[in-house]
Amino acid sequence: MNYYRQVLTVTLWEYRRFFKIKNEIIGIAIMLLVFGVSYLGGKYATSRSSEKPHLMVLKDLKPQLIEILSNDFIVELISGEEKEKLLLQIATQKEGMLLLQDGEGFVIHSWKKPKRLNALQENLKIYCQQEAMAKINLSTSDLEYVMRPADLREVYLYDAGTNDRSVLAFFFAGLMIMAVFLSFAYQFTAITGEKQLKITEQIISAIKPQAWMDGKILGITLTGLSSMLTYSIIGTLGGMLFFQFTGGSVSSILQYLHLPSILLFFMFTLMGVMMWNAFLAAIASMITDPNNSGKSGVMLLPLIFVFSSFLVMRDPDNGVSVFLSWFPLTSATAMPMRWVATELAWWEFAGSFVVLAATFYLLRKLAAKIFHVSVLISGKEPTWREVFKLARES
Amino acid sequence: MAQAKILEVSSLSKTFKNVQAVESISFSLEQGDIFAFLGPNGAGKTTTLRILLDIIKADSGTIKWNLAGNKSSFPPSSQIGYLPEERGLYTDQPIVRSLVYLASIRGMEPSKARISAMEWLERLDLADRAKEKLQALSKGNQQKIQFVASILHKPAFAILDEPFSGLDPLNQEKFIGYIKELNEQGTTILLSSHQMSLVEKIAHRVFLINQGKELFNGSLMDIYQNYGQQHILDISFACEVPLEKFRLLPNLENMSPVGAQQVKVTFRPGTELTEILGNLAGMDGISNIKSHNSSLHDIFLNIVKAHQQ
Repeated sequence: MNYYRQVLTVTLWEYRRFFKIKNEIIGIAIMLLVFGVSYLGGKYATSRSSEKPHLMVLKDLKPQLIEILSNDFIVELISGEEKEKLLLQIATQKEGMLLLQDGEGFVIHSWKKPKRLNALQENLKIYCQQEAMAKINLSTSDLEYVMRPADLREVYLYDAGTNDRSVLAFFFAGLMIMAVFLSFAYQFTAITGEKQLKITEQIISAIKPQAWMDGKILGITLTGLSSMLTYSIIGTLGGMLFFQFTGGSVSSILQYLHLPSILLFFMFTLMGVMMWNAFLAAIASMITDPNNSGKSGVMLLPLIFVFSSFLVMRDPDNGVSVFLSWFPLTSATAMPMRWVATELAWWEFAGSFVVLAATFYLLRKLAAKIFHVSVLISGKEPTWREVFKLARES
Repeated sequence: MAQAKILEVSSLSKTFKNVQAVESISFSLEQGDIFAFLGPNGAGKTTTLRILLDIIKADSGTIKWNLAGNKSSFPPSSQIGYLPEERGLYTDQPIVRSLVYLASIRGMEPSKARISAMEWLERLDLADRAKEKLQALSKGNQQKIQFVASILHKPAFAILDEPFSGLDPLNQEKFIGYIKELNEQGTTILLSSHQMSLVEKIAHRVFLINQGKELFNGSLMDIYQNYGQQHILDISFACEVPLEKFRLLPNLENMSPVGAQQVKVTFRPGTELTEILGNLAGMDGISNIKSHNSSLHDIFLNIVKAHQQ
């Protein structure tokens, strides 16, 4: 049986073992449920606040201010005698708001900080501005003239980094984070779990460690990609629904589906997920008991690198960004992000991709060697030194 | 007519750090053999099996395979079956799917593997549980599935490490039948086991190893002829066994009390039974005497003890 057929057999086994349509549907249903509950719950929570709250003021308050306050409050006028009674009521019944003028300023009395305090402040600000304008005889049109923005014409030589492509870059980065998370969980089950089930000796008597490891990496990558595809479709449908409900055209989603960008992002994401899978497989091969192993934490390392690539968006042309877009542990997300944010030569893509692919190639070789030697160290978990010494010797 | 040699091992050695696990051992297997690899724990059996399977490399020595006319340093995995001592299967997967997968990575067509797996499950009365997860089966049934997984692809050569371990006597007998049948269908078998009474029933040839060294290599008949000609007597007494009198018996090689009123005594090779009985005539209280030749178990213990001394 040749290497490729063995790899295909292991790949399909791992894929069928971990990718289950039923589980995907359950996952999506739970996600939609959480989304629905959040949306409806949010709506419910804010529904009461859409009603205007009652605000008590003294009868002698200026009508101009009362008119402004009426935009956000139901203003109730009270006499000076009722003031003390109302303050007592606020203290005992824990409800009601009383606004009093204090010289040029104001005092608000309430049991606790009111939810509409910002609206109240905004209304008082408008009133104070109008008062100030009146004092210096400034008309509204004069004020608009003073506050007008400067006339700035925008002329850019590079305008490819549009928002829609940035959205796409972030979308792929998000998918990659998800795929790495899934890989983290699956590699534990696929490799460490098999070691605990003591299947490995039987397997390596039948198949070369490299074929077995490549099958694992590809099978779990395929599982991650399937989940990515599912969530991409859900994301696209969600986007269409969003435009539908916000009054936009459903076809607005098409502006985000820029094919060359999708191909570029997909290539880097695919290679990135494979590279991280090879890395995770190498670490998982060294772990005998995930609950007590000090090496388990190392498996979270990929997330640090994936997240650090977001730094590129701050300044895509500085030295750190250039390094991140070439460094193989960050380039899978950093290079596509640089591409949407600045102008890049074709050889930068090609070079970065080749470095990434070479890293994947070497990591999968290393993972197979580590697996081969660590599976034979029984009774204890191999140390880093032992593994690398044996891997070098093998 | 001599059968073709399908495996020749010469001067195989392996050292781990300061421990000599295997020391210059040599043996060969012919087509159709059932070859028993025997030795106490830590004797070097599993290390040797792992070297044969190319899982680890020997420090020195040569291994020549000649399976189905295919001369190579290591045969394709489709021709080898392996039941490791450390059992393990995918407990969270349906039984039939695990079996098909394990046969597939050894080169068997999945469709053929499925048919063959179902045939085996029928024989084991487990066909109706084919789609259940392995963890739903009892330990004994899991052992059976493990065995099937190692030979489902119909290998030309099967290495079975402790195939009877964990089985009840009824299932041990069944497994003897399966191994014999496999052998009759053309599979050469190399097995390692501690259950000597079971090995006696199926092995053609035995190889005894201790502390990495070869102690015996030959046919079952040879080992009985060389080491099994001693008289072993199980003697029961109506009173307490007079151990001091036994120690004075001529040609006594070994004496093992079995409780207060019974003793098992082994005499040196060549000692006549009439001479032994004559010496026992002077002892009072003997209620029963059973005489038998050495079993493989006895021979194994004697050879290993002698080597350790």
